[in-house]
Amino acid sequence: MTTPPPLLQIDRLTRQRAGRMALQDLCLTVQRGDVLGLLGVNGAGKSTTLGMIAGAMRPDSGSIRLGGEDFLEHPELGRGRIGWLPERAPLWPELTVREHLQAHGRLRGLRGTALASACDAMLERLELVPMARRLAGVLSQGQRQRVGLACAMLHRPDLLILDEPANALDPVQVAALRQLIREEAARGAAVILSTHLLAEVTAVCGRVAILHEGRLRHDGPVDAADLPTLERQFFDIAMNGRSLAA
Amino acid sequence: MSALAVARLELRRLFVRPLGWVLGALTLGELAWRFVLLLGNFLAAQVRLAALPAGPGYTDLVAVPLLSSLFTGSLVPFGLTELALLVVPLLTMSSLAGERGNGTLPLLLASGQSPADIVLGKYLATLAWLVAWLALVLAMPLSLAHGTTLDWGKLAAATIGLVLVLALLAAIGLACSAFASHPAIAATAALVIALALCCVNLGAQAAGVDSGVIHWLALGTHLEPLLRGLVDTTDVLWFVLLTALALALAIRRLDADRERG
Repeated sequence: MTTPPPLLQIDRLTRQRAGRMALQDLCLTVQRGDVLGLLGVNGAGKSTTLGMIAGAMRPDSGSIRLGGEDFLEHPELGRGRIGWLPERAPLWPELTVREHLQAHGRLRGLRGTALASACDAMLERLELVPMARRLAGVLSQGQRQRVGLACAMLHRPDLLILDEPANALDPVQVAALRQLIREEAARGAAVILSTHLLAEVTAVCGRVAILHEGRLRHDGPVDAADLPTLERQFFDIAMNGRSLAA
Repeated sequence: MSALAVARLELRRLFVRPLGWVLGALTLGELAWRFVLLLGNFLAAQVRLAALPAGPGYTDLVAVPLLSSLFTGSLVPFGLTELALLVVPLLTMSSLAGERGNGTLPLLLASGQSPADIVLGKYLATLAWLVAWLALVLAMPLSLAHGTTLDWGKLAAATIGLVLVLALLAAIGLACSAFASHPAIAATAALVIALALCCVNLGAQAAGVDSGVIHWLALGTHLEPLLRGLVDTTDVLWFVLLTALALALAIRRLDADRERG
């Protein structure tokens, strides 16, 4: 029996932005059910990495394989298999919450009753039912974040990419978000979580990757009970630029 | 199918934003007023026109001039073509520049839609709005069709001409929106390009240049025959070529957006 290919395989991904090397030779593999925390200081290359994995931008060189297939050659693979919540959850201010879900569902290939039931389920799951008819333009940042999350998860993607999902969420909502991430991983989806909050990583992630100045400096398992070790690793890399992977 | 999903989203956004409604209401009001003036002039001149053996009728003096004043020599200003020069850039300015500013363009690109799907979807939605607008304007002269002798062939040719003009202006507006960083810049650029297409031969003539190429470039050269009821494939091709060129530029720019990030 042949081993199935990893869900996501990134090889030597390199990208320049605004004249500087935003990402250099990134190699990363993500399996189904993985929850990978992506850490790094501002400008470390986290959002660039996530944008390329999501298909919003292309690398200068390197490859991204999704389920063994070349994602850069076939970006349409991402339609049904990737869900992405960008930083600050961009929404169309003139559309209601439900209309956002419907639009994202259609863009991701959902139609008819499948779309309607997926929207209802997601509104319920993220406690958005009371604001389903509210315009996105009047939502608070925390509510926008939840709508963005609902849009990213609507089509039950194999790979969920979350860029700072806990931004502007209250502690109760953060706990609910952690539960959601665990549930997604339990059903077999892989989750990549970019965050500045180290506690967020120890709470939900099984693995952590630390980027610094566009390079991967650490990739290894994370112990849920050992926040101090992660802090030491992170600050060592962030302050001194030292690689613990070496 | 992907382009249709984008078109549906764009149409919904056009429907719920006040801009489309305000533009539609104001322009339809102006055109209704223009229709009444043209009809009044026609009725006043009817006795004189009846004496002419092959004089102009309702189609020549009311229906077609309603669609354009500049290219029909009508004295009453601002037909649908002239209004479209302003309305289309306003309608398309946010299509891509607004998405970019709002941060939703990467979201569309990441949803598995190709740049071509996004541009075509947005183009189809804008075109649907413009065709509905044209249909409402045409309903004015058509409402009197039972009481007058309408030249259906001439009106059909003029309608084809207007559809082609609206299709071209929408493509130019979308291309400007793809290149511009801000909707206002996109609207201004689209307006300037559209005006340049309208006036390129007039400006050249005023400067004493009478070149065939400049004449060929002008919108009026290809629209006037259609408004006179003459459908020439070379004129239709001119519109199709420029429309395709503008859409191709918009797609290319969006592709570059993905490359540049």
